[in-house]
Amino acid sequence: MGQKFDPVTLEILWRRLISVVDEADTTVARTAFSSLLRDAHDYTCMFTDRHGRELAQGSFATPGQSGAMALGIKNLVKKLPAGSFGPGDVFITNDPWALAGHLNDVCVMSPIYYKDSLVGFTACVFHHSDIGGRVSSDNHDVYEDGLFIPFVKLYDGDVLNEAVIEMIRWNVRTPDEVIGDIRSQIAANHVCSQKICQMLDEYKMDGLDDLADEIIGRTEKSMRDAIEKLADGIYHAEGIVEQMEGKDDIVIKVAVKVKGNSITVDLDGSSPQVDWGGNVVFNFTYAYVFMAMKSMFEPDIPNNDGCTVPISMKAPEGSVVNCKFPAAVAARMQIGHFMTEIIYRALAEALPDRILAGSGGTPATMNVFYGKGSDAKPWHSVIIRGGGMGASAINDGYYDYIFPANGANTPVEIFESDTPLIVEKRGLLTDSGGPGKMKGGLGRRVVFRIPDDEYAPIPPVNLGIQSGRYRYPPEGLFGGKDGAKAQFLINGESGNPYGLTQLKPGDVITMDAAGGGGYGDPLERDPELIENDVSDGYVSLESAEKDHGVVINPETMKVDMNASDKLRASLKKA
Amino acid sequence: MSDNKFYRLGCDIGGTFTDFVLLNDQTGEMRINKCLTTPGDPSDAVEQGIRELEEKTPDIVGKLDEVIHGTTLVINSIIERKGAKTGLITTKGFRDVLELGREIRYAPYDIFAEFPKPLIPRRLRLEVDERVRSDGTVIKALDPDEAKDAVRELLNTGVESISVCLLNSFENPDHELMIKEILREKAPDIPVSISYDVLPQIREYERTSTTVTNAYVKPLTGRYLKKLSSRLESMGFKGKLFIMLSSGGITSVETAAEFPVRIIESGPTAAVISGQYYGRLFDIPEMFCFDMGGTTAKSCLIQGGVAGVVPTFEVGRVQRFMKGSGLTIQVPVVDLMEIGAGGGSIAKVSKMGTLQVGPESSGADPGPICYGRGGTGPGVTDADLLLGYLDENYFLGGEMKLDKEAARRGVEEQIARPLGVSFIQAIWGIHDLINETMAAAAKTHIAEKGGNPKVVTVAAFGGAGPVHAYGLAKKLGAPRLIVPPNAGVGSALGFFTAPRAFDLVRSHKVSLNNADFIEIEKIFRDMEAEGARTLEKSGKTENIKFERSVDVRFVGQGSETNVPIAESDFTKVKKEDVRGRFDKIYEKLYGRTYLDSPVEFINFKVRASLPERLLKLPKMEKKEGSIEDAVKGQRLAYSGIAKDFIPYTVYDRYRLFPDARFDGPAIIEERESTVIVGEDASISVDDFGFLWIEL
Repeated sequence: MGQKFDPVTLEILWRRLISVVDEADTTVARTAFSSLLRDAHDYTCMFTDRHGRELAQGSFATPGQSGAMALGIKNLVKKLPAGSFGPGDVFITNDPWALAGHLNDVCVMSPIYYKDSLVGFTACVFHHSDIGGRVSSDNHDVYEDGLFIPFVKLYDGDVLNEAVIEMIRWNVRTPDEVIGDIRSQIAANHVCSQKICQMLDEYKMDGLDDLADEIIGRTEKSMRDAIEKLADGIYHAEGIVEQMEGKDDIVIKVAVKVKGNSITVDLDGSSPQVDWGGNVVFNFTYAYVFMAMKSMFEPDIPNNDGCTVPISMKAPEGSVVNCKFPAAVAARMQIGHFMTEIIYRALAEALPDRILAGSGGTPATMNVFYGKGSDAKPWHSVIIRGGGMGASAINDGYYDYIFPANGANTPVEIFESDTPLIVEKRGLLTDSGGPGKMKGGLGRRVVFRIPDDEYAPIPPVNLGIQSGRYRYPPEGLFGGKDGAKAQFLINGESGNPYGLTQLKPGDVITMDAAGGGGYGDPLERDPELIENDVSDGYVSLESAEKDHGVVINPETMKVDMNASDKLRASLKKA
Repeated sequence: MSDNKFYRLGCDIGGTFTDFVLLNDQTGEMRINKCLTTPGDPSDAVEQGIRELEEKTPDIVGKLDEVIHGTTLVINSIIERKGAKTGLITTKGFRDVLELGREIRYAPYDIFAEFPKPLIPRRLRLEVDERVRSDGTVIKALDPDEAKDAVRELLNTGVESISVCLLNSFENPDHELMIKEILREKAPDIPVSISYDVLPQIREYERTSTTVTNAYVKPLTGRYLKKLSSRLESMGFKGKLFIMLSSGGITSVETAAEFPVRIIESGPTAAVISGQYYGRLFDIPEMFCFDMGGTTAKSCLIQGGVAGVVPTFEVGRVQRFMKGSGLTIQVPVVDLMEIGAGGGSIAKVSKMGTLQVGPESSGADPGPICYGRGGTGPGVTDADLLLGYLDENYFLGGEMKLDKEAARRGVEEQIARPLGVSFIQAIWGIHDLINETMAAAAKTHIAEKGGNPKVVTVAAFGGAGPVHAYGLAKKLGAPRLIVPPNAGVGSALGFFTAPRAFDLVRSHKVSLNNADFIEIEKIFRDMEAEGARTLEKSGKTENIKFERSVDVRFVGQGSETNVPIAESDFTKVKKEDVRGRFDKIYEKLYGRTYLDSPVEFINFKVRASLPERLLKLPKMEKKEGSIEDAVKGQRLAYSGIAKDFIPYTVYDRYRLFPDARFDGPAIIEERESTVIVGEDASISVDDFGFLWIEL
């Protein structure tokens, strides 16, 4: 019979588990090399019980990684034969099908031993800014994407497998950074294991099994209670995701089947996998379906296996949302990130207060710049950013976040000191937020210039891009209008955001992130809010009149209420 | 200190109370006073408090050598958004830096989590067409006429304060300085804050946010400090007024008015400084200072008598205490960890059916149920009372009667019954859980500093600190706990031991291999000259001490490691020495270092300080007596070891004497606080009246 925990002790232990991961998380922020980790926080730490069931994850987790790890680590643990590993072992893999869906996400996993018996596993996934390969979203298979590290031992009982490190070193462009970041992963796991053992010691526990049952059980119940409040039924939605020019749109079909306190999401009817990098593995698709569910039903409770158990997913094998090896997957977020808003759309009528309109940060934008400086030294930088968030029933869309993924931008001053490029602008785009009773978040323009003076890099400057929303804007909801589309311009001309772009000194690159969709009828937006929007340049005078029916006196910048009432009445009729 | 001026006064203006400590430097004697804060004009309370002190010590004002002042005025005006109408001039293309921030969503699964609004609305953020490269060279020179137009446009909007932050200005401030000059000409009465003066450090959002915050609070801080100075003057004060900095030093009124962003954490810092003093006085290698009040617990690790200083913090968090939900301020600040755990923290049943305590708090008003002032949520103080740790008839020395019965009903109905646990499990759970919350945060904090919780000496301050310190120390595995006399207000001592100091920093990224140490020596000398000029405003300038350090990291790494440089001439330092010291510190913090990875400099730092004024702690009178004389009686209180109520001996702290020794279980009561000690610990009293509790 298992150990019982009273509600007080349970909370104490539970908090301890979360603080253990957060401590590991802090270790990463302080030891990592690449800017993508240290500045953008594109990594996730977690640990599981000895069966691989997730027990706790870092508070700043990235949803794509954490959701995928919840499934992925469990599968890896299941496949590990007993006796094939022991204390001190460290595993490494970046198998996209095993974890977070592309080669750059490298997982380091270690068993946790307490008094010679296995009590759990600790794992972290880092988004490495470089994994070799051809850095482009139009690769044809995963071999082009870069180095594939199968699930192997990096340490065998404290003995480093130097061959693995050498293999990595010779297959990436920035080996010191990549190896440095792998070391940071090992350090994070080490901190996690150590602290768990200390806790077991302190509370005189033999293992985590009973505690895990209790924590996961209670979490599952809470999630199920929330789901149960939603009426049974099948909620449908369809999402259209653009591909590169000349290719058919991708269709994602969603049927959310709610029955009692369980949900099954069926993606039957979704498009087949594609011949470029937008393919999504099952785990990553699930991660963003889960993101939607968690945010709608139980955003506040800590994440663990119990949150995911009530939500299952079916996706046809070989489809774009459950692709088969060796599909190219480097740009999987270009499609995967859409899962969250398609689920929101399916449940919009049922849960109108718990969702957002379409977001310009769906998908996230990632730029990989690399080349040689004027001194012929190689440089390499990966930056990520979002767009305007969708509006909700209670809020305007926030300005420029990555959503549903998460991460931070890289400071311009850091980017410029790491690369020869000059950033000429990083600012909000007027009128890019979808009009609505609640306005969509504004998109943002970033302009890069490649110097052509004595600072000019040796050409070419390579640019790999992952992004979207060039043809279809983020959609508004309940009468709210769409946000503005994204743009990619080279010297003022439309560029191809899908391939690997080669640039030369003197080129100016403009990238506009999309704005968020509006929520509710724009003619119902509070005129005072419009007055502020116009004064701050978020909305133009023209858009105030045309889209919101609000007339603002350009001299005083105040609302003309009479004229506005009349205009709104006539717009409503039309 | 001159012969006729031998008093010093520390004065801390908090949200509710203004605290005073008067020190007689000749005898070491200290006197304490407390009066209600007067928000309309905080100097009213200062005058009132001094007048009250004068009733017992006549004519002190003329004998005051120094008044050292800490205030929450600046932080409150930011939180309440009561600062000045402020404008910003920035580089073309970057007026939205302040609004875009770093883009991270601090609560990844909460789509409604709010973000703080920028202190300056977009309409008051103007751009000028200029550009400096990351190496400091100029791409596009600033056109003075354009700058004048921008200044005129801002002035026309009626701004009361102006900030300037241009891209890469930390490498070359020429353009910022030009705009500063134009502002001095065109608007001599408008306070100006330029980023190069406020803090010339890389990362544009953090630097802009800091400069803007400085500008936002500059007019009101200036007015307030002026008023306070003239008020003291009119009372006959002829000494020098100092202001406590967030970094733990004290500075002149002039410097504080110029850089108010540096006095944001002025209030809580004093506690840390007194901790530093105790750490040195008793030669304690690692001390964990723990100050628990009504709403929050603040703590800090002090190693070798020195508290850590960190380069950045957040103010005005919009989502409870969540990291990431506040405005980022990048100035040196004592590394203080603050969490939502206090006597007023409210207990409730979580969604998960477990017990939850905090971070919501009933604060001091209405306070927990037992205060009988309308609080309805059972809180930590209610549990402490019901566990027998507090005496319902001796709270604040008996000034406030606590309602035990109401507290009991609250816990029974809102916690014990819904959770299905016994009443005793519920009250012990509340006490123990808040200790666990604090211990978890403390462990992370101590680990970050490379310390070890198993060797720290815990020092307890604040109203609730001594009640919880024993439990906290046990959870940390700490061997010893000390409680200074007057622990409820003991932090004020820090005002007298804080050094007159000012921290300077300059960013300049260069690899160790390529670094020109002659050029770096010049950077250090410039900073030291500036530090000396700042300290001159505090009075004397002889014996200025300069402490140099460099922030070093592996090439391309994210955060930096601070490496102290003992040499006063950088050209005498060898490159391999810098490397060796970095590796040693890095290894201590992170377990291992990587000898073959190259390193680079990021920041150069100088702390300029004047010699600390010494303080002689008053010794207690030696008494021949028996410990029995200090015993007030016995009381049943809960023991976490026995898991039951057991008899604790209750002592009157004011009747304890040097070398007194006794064992737990003990409750030691003083007016502002109560010390709880379990049955496995022993207590001794030293010459200064400190309790030393061995666990």
